[in-house]
Formats: sequence, C-alpha cells, structure tokens
Amino acid sequence: MTDVILRTEAVGKNFGKFRALGGVSASFPRGALTSIIGPNGAGKSTYFNLISGAFAPSSGKIVFEGRDITGTAQHHYAKLGIAKSFQITTVFPQITTLENVRIAVQALVSRYNVWRPRAAMAELVETAGALLNTVGLWDRRERIAGTLAHGEQRALEIAMALASRPRLLLLDEPTAGMSPEETRSMMDLIVKLAGERTVILVEHKMKLVMGISDRLLVLHHGELLAEGTPDEIRRDETVKRVYLGQREH
Amino acid sequence: MLPPNFVATCKRHRVVLSIAFLIVFPLLMPFKAIAVNILIYGLFALGFNLMFGTLGLLSFGHAALFGAGAYACGIAIVHFGAPWWAGILGGTLGGMAIAALIGALAIRTRGIYFAMVTLALSQCVYFLAYQATAWTGGENGLRGVELSRIAAFGHSINFVDPLTRYYVVAFFVALALFILSRILASPFGAVLEAVRENEARARACGYDVRATRFMAFVISGGFCGLAGALQALHLSIVPIETLYYQTSGLVVMMALLGGMGTFFGPFVGAGVFLLLENLVSLWTVHWQLFVGAAFVACVLFFPRGIWGTLLMGRAK
Amino acid sequence: MEGLSLDLVVLQLFTGLALGAIYVLLALGMSLLFGMLTVVNFAHGAFYMLGAYVGIMLLGVGFNFWLCLLFVPLVVGSVGLLCERFLIRRLYGRGIDYPLLLTFGLSYIMVECVRIVFGTTGLQFDTPDALVGATDIGIGYFPTYRLFVIAVTFVVLGLLWLFLERTPYGLIIRAGARDPQIVRILGIDVARVWLVVFGIGTGLAALAGLLAAPLQGASPEMGNSILAEAFVVTVVGGMGSLVGAVIAGLLVGVVVAMTSLLAPEMAQVSIFALMAVVLLIRPQGFFGRAGLMS
Repeated sequence: MTDVILRTEAVGKNFGKFRALGGVSASFPRGALTSIIGPNGAGKSTYFNLISGAFAPSSGKIVFEGRDITGTAQHHYAKLGIAKSFQITTVFPQITTLENVRIAVQALVSRYNVWRPRAAMAELVETAGALLNTVGLWDRRERIAGTLAHGEQRALEIAMALASRPRLLLLDEPTAGMSPEETRSMMDLIVKLAGERTVILVEHKMKLVMGISDRLLVLHHGELLAEGTPDEIRRDETVKRVYLGQREH
Repeated sequence: MLPPNFVATCKRHRVVLSIAFLIVFPLLMPFKAIAVNILIYGLFALGFNLMFGTLGLLSFGHAALFGAGAYACGIAIVHFGAPWWAGILGGTLGGMAIAALIGALAIRTRGIYFAMVTLALSQCVYFLAYQATAWTGGENGLRGVELSRIAAFGHSINFVDPLTRYYVVAFFVALALFILSRILASPFGAVLEAVRENEARARACGYDVRATRFMAFVISGGFCGLAGALQALHLSIVPIETLYYQTSGLVVMMALLGGMGTFFGPFVGAGVFLLLENLVSLWTVHWQLFVGAAFVACVLFFPRGIWGTLLMGRAK
Repeated sequence: MEGLSLDLVVLQLFTGLALGAIYVLLALGMSLLFGMLTVVNFAHGAFYMLGAYVGIMLLGVGFNFWLCLLFVPLVVGSVGLLCERFLIRRLYGRGIDYPLLLTFGLSYIMVECVRIVFGTTGLQFDTPDALVGATDIGIGYFPTYRLFVIAVTFVVLGLLWLFLERTPYGLIIRAGARDPQIVRILGIDVARVWLVVFGIGTGLAALAGLLAAPLQGASPEMGNSILAEAFVVTVVGGMGSLVGAVIAGLLVGVVVAMTSLLAPEMAQVSIFALMAVVLLIRPQGFFGRAGLMS
C-alpha cells in the first residue's frame, strides 16, 4: 500500500438546493503529482475548495495524514502543512513582492507580537528571499506586487504558499489566463516543486497536465468519473466520451 | 509638492519631529485650549485610523470607545476619589473593555455591516449611560471631574494653567505616538496590512483574521479611551453627547480630512477641522453646513485627505 | 383584572405595530438602496426628517394632509434623485465606504439647511382632523391616527409589491438586486434604474417621516437616532431583503412597545439587545444570504 497523504470520504457540497458535488471518495498518494480535471461545471473548484478548507463540506469527511480535518478553520491549514494558490490571483497588491513573502513566512513565527520591531527579524527576510529565488522573482523583490505581470503574480502566490513549508501544495488552475510562454515556465516550476512535495493540481486544460501528472482524477457533473494514471485515463472510454468528445466538437 | 528628500528625512525621524512639534505647537495657537483639543481629537482620530486606515474596517461606533474612556476616568475620580494617573489608566482600560465587548459582536460582520453594527452598538452604550444616572449623571453629564493640581515625581503641578495642561496632555499623546509607531512596525502591524490588503490570502497564510481584527479593535479602544480620559480631565465634565454617534461621525471626518492610513493624517485632520469650526462659528451659527460641505468635497475630490494628498504629490 | 391587563398588552401590541410601520418604511428604502446599489444611506435619517418638514411646508402653502401623503415623497424623492445623479453616482466603483461617507456628509448639510429655514427648535405637527381621536377596535379604544399609519404602510407595501412584481421596471429592479451584471448585459440603462431606485428609497423615508410627525412632532434632529434604529432593522431582517425589512420592522416596533410596558427605561436599549441576539445566532439576519456578512 502506498502512503496516502490526503483522503476524501464521500465529500459533497450543496449550495442551497443545488448539489455542486456528490459524494467524492478519493485518495492522494504522498509524493505524487495528482491532477483533478474535468469540463467546466464538473465540480473541480468546489472539490478544490473543500480539500483546501475554503468552506466545509455538507457531507463526508476529509482526512489528512490520518487525521480528520473536516471543518478545520482556514487559518489552521498552514500549520497543518497544507498550502494553496487561488484560482483568482490573490497577493497583497500594495506591498512589495519581498514583503508579501515575508508576511507569509512570518505567519509561522509571529502573529500577535505588537512590540518587537520587524526589522529585527532578519531571518524572515532571508527565507523570503530564498523563496523568491525558487520561483524566479528575486529580481522583482522591490516591486509593488500589484504592478507585477499576471504570470509573475501567480509565481509570487506560489512562493507565499511555500512559505509555510507545506507537505501538500494545492494549486487551482495555476496557468489560467497566462500567455503560452508564462504557461511553460509555470509548468516547469510545478514539475520542480512536485519533486520535493505532494502536489494536487486542478486544471481545466487536460493536455497541459497529461505529460506531467502521476495520477489523474476526472470529475463530471459533480461525481468522480474515473481515476488512474494518464495512460489509463487516455484509454478510458467514458472519459473520452464526456470530456475529450466535448472539447473536440 | 514637498521635496522628496525632506519628506524622506521626516519619515525617518517622525517620532523626534512629532515631539519637537508638540513642544512648539501651543506657542503658534491663538488659544491654548484649541491646541489641547487638537491633541485630544488627534489622538482619538489616531485610534480610529488604526481600524479604518491600517486595517480597512470602517467603524461608526468609536464614540463608545472615546466615551467609555471619558466616563471611566470621570467615574474613577468623582465616585472613587482616584488620583489623576489612575483616572487616565482607568480611561484607557475602559476604552479597551468596551472595545472588547463591542468588538466581540461586531467582528462577526464585515465591510459595510461593520459600520452599521458598531454604530448601533455604540448607540446602545449611549442609551445605557443615559439611564445610569447615578453613575454617569445621565442627561446632564458627569460633572465635577475637577483637577486643579496634579502630583508627579514629587512635584505638584498646576493643572489649571493652560500651558502646563497642554504639556501634560502632550506627554501622553507623545507616549501614544511612540506606542503606535512600535505597533505599526511590529509583526502584528504587518498582519494588519495583510488583512486589509487581502483577507483570503491572509487566512491562507495562517493568520486568524477575526482574532487580528478583534485585537486591533481593542488596541484602538486603548488609544481612544486614553483620548477620552484626557478629554474628561480637560473639560472637567463628561457630556452625554460624548457617546452619541455624531461623535463617531466627527472622528470619521477628521481622519478622512487628514488622510486615512497616514501616520500624521489624523492630527492634521483634527487640527484643520477644529480650526475651521472655530473660524466659521465666529461668523455663523450654522457651521455644520460648512463642515458637511467640506466633508462631501473631501470624499468627492480628496479621498486621500490633506496629508495623504501632500504625500501623493511627492510620489508623482 | 387579568382581562384588563391582557387588553393592555394587545393595545400595546398595536402601538408596537404602528411604530413598526414607520421602521418598515425606513428599512424598506434602506434595503432597496443597499440591495440594488450597495449604498448604505447614512442620510436616510435626514431624508426622513426632510419628509416631516416638507410636509409642514406644503401644509403652509395650502395643501391638505392627504395631498401631502402624495407630494411629500415626490418632492423629497426628487431631492434624492438629484443627490444620486450629481454626487453619489461619481462614487460607484470606488469602494463601498465612499457612498456611505458621502451620505453622512450630506446628512449634515440637510439638517443644517432645515435649521436655517425652519429654526433650531422643534415644531408641532397637528394630526389631521379626520384622524383625531380614538377608534373602538373591540378590546378597547386605540388612537385612530396610529391605525391609519398601519393602514397606509400596508397600502404602500401592496403598491410596492405590485410595482416590483407586475411592472417591467420592477422586474429589472429585482433582477438587478440579484445580479447587476445581468441587467447590464441585457442592455438596460442601469444608471436610470439606479436613479429611480434612489428616488423610491428616499421617498419612502420621507413618507415615514411625514407619518411620524403627528406622533412626535418635527425637529431637525429627529432623523439622528432613528438612523441607528433603521440600521438595526435592516441588519436583523437581513441586508437587501425586502421581506426581512417588513418582518424585522414590525418585530422591532413590537419589542420596543412591549419593553416600554414592562420596563420603560429599557425601551431604547431593547432594540440593540435584539440585534445583539440576532447577530450571535444568525449573523446574516432573518432573510439575509449566508456568507454575505462574515
């Protein structure tokens, strides 16, 4: 049996009377890059929001490293070892790039200290700088985050997610709205990150993730349609019919 | 508008400069009483600005924090015969206590609701104080917060002398400025900015947004409570209107006029507002018309306020 | 003895409904403005006050009370239209706090203008002759004018319902309250709809002020404390919900009336205690959408 880092047991979500996600049960092996794919409205984002703690499921259970984390408040996720990037870019727009990451790093160390000068905590700046290096934004450290290019902001977001030293990194459509060039460097970055930790990726464009994923989960109409290696998914007749078929026409 | 080097230098030494300014300020004012008022309301606006400018939450209930400070100080001195410093300490703690009560409820809401709920809760405090005549004097206000001499470090100081009174108040304002400056430069100060800039991201980083807001509200209550206590000592009376929501409106205006989110903005705003009020009320009783118009103009044309616009002029 | 006190309670209930009717009109306007324009109108109390004074003015030039009921909302609503068109409209898209601050400033101007024209002391507002006295409502005599206030409010509610449900304009407003984007996509002149909504909202506030004037007189400050009470009603009912505004308005009125019966000095505080309880149990209010508040 491989080591499972995250498991969902029949998690579902209702918005009023609308059932956005039926009970989805799935396991994510540690160290793997798993992609969640599916056509628009398949429930990918809902599923992502449930496992990343943006809101609690209406039914079912989420288990992280053997511990039931269903309904845990969002701000505890960083401490658990789970970090995420949002579908819509979310950085602190009026603060410098370096300070963005420094604030993210600080969350591990100090949240309510009102007296110690920030300037005295040089080690945080160092860590933040190293993270910026990892995502290739060191040159941009003094820029105000809101003025960065779209692709750069997404990379910055990932640097901020890495600040909590997560064992599980969740990425929601990291290449949405990117130019082909930006997409390529982002995919390179994801592959690099996946070498060191577990990554779960939600992606709309199936072609992008086929080559890099260890495993794929296909959602359709709020249900789990298929799961397996890229090859298995490629051969799966149902997937072809509802997903590939739809995109080809 | 201002030469960049000058502004940069000012920023670096803002505490020293503030203190220097506080020392010279009363000598520039026609009446010392106005100078004291500007300091007290500036401090009040400073506390308010921590919520609105730094954290991005508009409170319309800050009258309750200011008033709680004033009443706590007044009650300590009138009913318990407390020494002056205990009154000031009591006022600061009183402001924080009411802030904790209101905050516990109000931080359950956000954005526009926060403004409405804080306003409603502060009105609740107003009506309670109105009814508790035995403690607060009700409609007539709490009278007799008289203080003619204060003892400090073995000396007895004449608090009736306007200039002495000014420097006593200025001492506490300088202390508050120093503390605020530390808070803004602290890790918690960074969290405040983060929460204002992007709540969801702050949460994902691991910050408890509600707890942060609550704590900021209580700290804000401390500054406002201190301002209220000084006001009670300065006026020798706590009028019931101190708690009315128009007082909250007043501090919103001052902070916006000066420039929210800037360090000195609140004092600039309080100064301009009070001087304007004094000038206009010399030739018409309807000064509120001008205050309202100035405020509307400020919202429409100078959303960054006077100080904020000056700073922006430099950035261009 | 027991029967008498029950009658007293029922009569007080009616008093509460009459007071609640005023709250309903205020909160309806406020909810409409918020739901549609996401503007929290801090001048709502001032428009309420203006309603009473425009009534006094119109009575002074020979109108009767019945005509006032029609013309006061029209006149004050027009003032509201002007404010929206020339001031508030500039602030859309600049953050939710700015219209709030602007309307707060406006309330200062309006109150001071009324002080200049009508003086700083309050004025008496006579109950129209036809409505003076009391009517037997089975369990006892109840002031006719208060019954009238309740009746007018229900008529206004009916008209508003017809307008929103049965006219094309109403359809647009309801759609816009749900999602302004859709209305824009449909190619409707949203600016015009907003203008109309602002007129209706402020007109309703003015009607409330006019109806309240015979009960408590008119003073430039009469809108000040009622603003906070109207906020409570909107928060309790759920922001932007018209049904919530009606139910919460009546409820708050009844709670105030009942508290004044039992512990008169706590009547004012009871409003806010009610809000505190609602916030603790159901932060989004009775009919508010969850998640909007926190």
